[in-house]
Amino acid sequence: MARTLITALIAAAAVGTPAVAAQGPLQVASKIFVEQRALDKAGAVSTSLAPATRAVPGDHVVFVLAYRNTGAQPLSDIVLDNPVPGAITYRAPGAGSAAPLLSVDGKTYGPLAQLRVPTAGGNSRAATSNDVRHIRWRIATVPAGGQGQLAFKAVLK
Amino acid sequence: MMSRSLRLMLLGGAAMVATGTAHAQSGSTATAAGTEVSNTATVTYTVNGASQTTTSNTAKFVVDRKVDFTVITDQTGATQVNLSQQAAVTKFKVTNHTNGIQDFWLDPDQTTLSVGILTGTDDFDISSMKVFVDSNNNGVYDADVDTQTYIDELAPEASVAVFIVGNIPSTVGIHEAQVSLHVIAAAGGASGTKGAILIPTDLSLGNADNVVDIVFADDDSDGLLNLGDVARNGQGRAYASYVIGTQNVALNVTKSALVLSDGVNLVNPKALPGATVQYCLLVHNGTALTGANGVVLTDIVPTNTTYVPGSISVGLPGGTCVLLGTTEDDDADDAAEIDGYTANYNTGTKTVTANVGTVAGLASVAVAFKVTIN
Repeated sequence: MARTLITALIAAAAVGTPAVAAQGPLQVASKIFVEQRALDKAGAVSTSLAPATRAVPGDHVVFVLAYRNTGAQPLSDIVLDNPVPGAITYRAPGAGSAAPLLSVDGKTYGPLAQLRVPTAGGNSRAATSNDVRHIRWRIATVPAGGQGQLAFKAVLK
Repeated sequence: MMSRSLRLMLLGGAAMVATGTAHAQSGSTATAAGTEVSNTATVTYTVNGASQTTTSNTAKFVVDRKVDFTVITDQTGATQVNLSQQAAVTKFKVTNHTNGIQDFWLDPDQTTLSVGILTGTDDFDISSMKVFVDSNNNGVYDADVDTQTYIDELAPEASVAVFIVGNIPSTVGIHEAQVSLHVIAAAGGASGTKGAILIPTDLSLGNADNVVDIVFADDDSDGLLNLGDVARNGQGRAYASYVIGTQNVALNVTKSALVLSDGVNLVNPKALPGATVQYCLLVHNGTALTGANGVVLTDIVPTNTTYVPGSISVGLPGGTCVLLGTTEDDDADDAAEIDGYTANYNTGTKTVTANVGTVAGLASVAVAFKVTIN
């Protein structure tokens, strides 16, 4: 447990957030995968996910948040905020994942079609997936021992 | 508790917004090799009505080096050259598409393959073949300026011109020399130092999480022709050729005669016996840019005339024939003649011979000599 805490502290420091990470019943693990395409014997392209040890610009990457309620109480009103890392362009929800709410400014969240990007002269234009800088999932409840996985697909710029 | 978690989120969000902005400034260029991409989620939730906050671990990876570049022939058609031309240039362009600064080794090759990329057949090699980078980026080979023989520190998406420079032999009958520029990706990062040739990281190596792997992503520059380059080998090649543009020049000679004096009429002298006649041989090279070498003019003095000794003059055309020419002696010993032209008169064959040397493209040389009418 102590080691986990230290890891969390280091992780928090690395992204510049205050080094305060409360350890509660909800454990969230962040993982990054790279899509690898391969040709099978029949010549069809198959896509598999590999840990992001080798990633070059243009690669498709998948960010995964795995959550688990380790406590004895049900949890409610869960909000997972995942800023899109620099050098990453959001593309789509991950396979089997709930669709996230998106935001271009970290303030207004909604489906992509409702988002606007301010432009010069006080105008705005419709946002594209390239403009998404924040991703948020809302989960109403997670029962004791419950777990799930959320993911989004992105491209390394 | 609520206010603290809100503050945490805002701070975290603000930090990431700043990161996003920084990357937006870099535009469409690929993320630089060595950039760390890290992902952390912030989570708020309630347990029995009490707010809690937590963060995920930080998953991260390092962006690897995607080595990609192109080398193309950056000229239209072959370089037109002449025999014995020095420092003839073919031009290429190398563009770095790697997500990082790269050095490139340059290796000029004589090519004898009938490559299908170039027309014609290679039948000679250029001599003293060298390769230089266009150091001052003016697109033209400058002998004293462009002396770098490898590409140093080429920025992502930047291009630089590369010249293959060589001398053309004097062998008569040669037509075409094909050359190629072989470019090899090398490690950048040290200005003024020729980096080592890159070796791709073994794909099967494990635990390469936080180091910059080298991944070759360059295309096969000769495609279906299968001339040696293959995709993803960190090398590229482009081809160009030198063609002897002109095998013949339009050299012509015009002969004219002018009676200088007849001993009777002061103006408009007539061709009377005893009159002095100037013959003028005007040789003209009608081909631009190509000189005619070793031009020799011979003329037999007409019967019933007598050559005027010491009357051969060679020089630029003008006046009655030669303007400000130099007078040549009549003997065949030309050791004493230093003006670049030599001439002699053979009394046996009654032949005037003038060696006018090189007649440059579109230039003319005149030869005058005098006879008297018997």
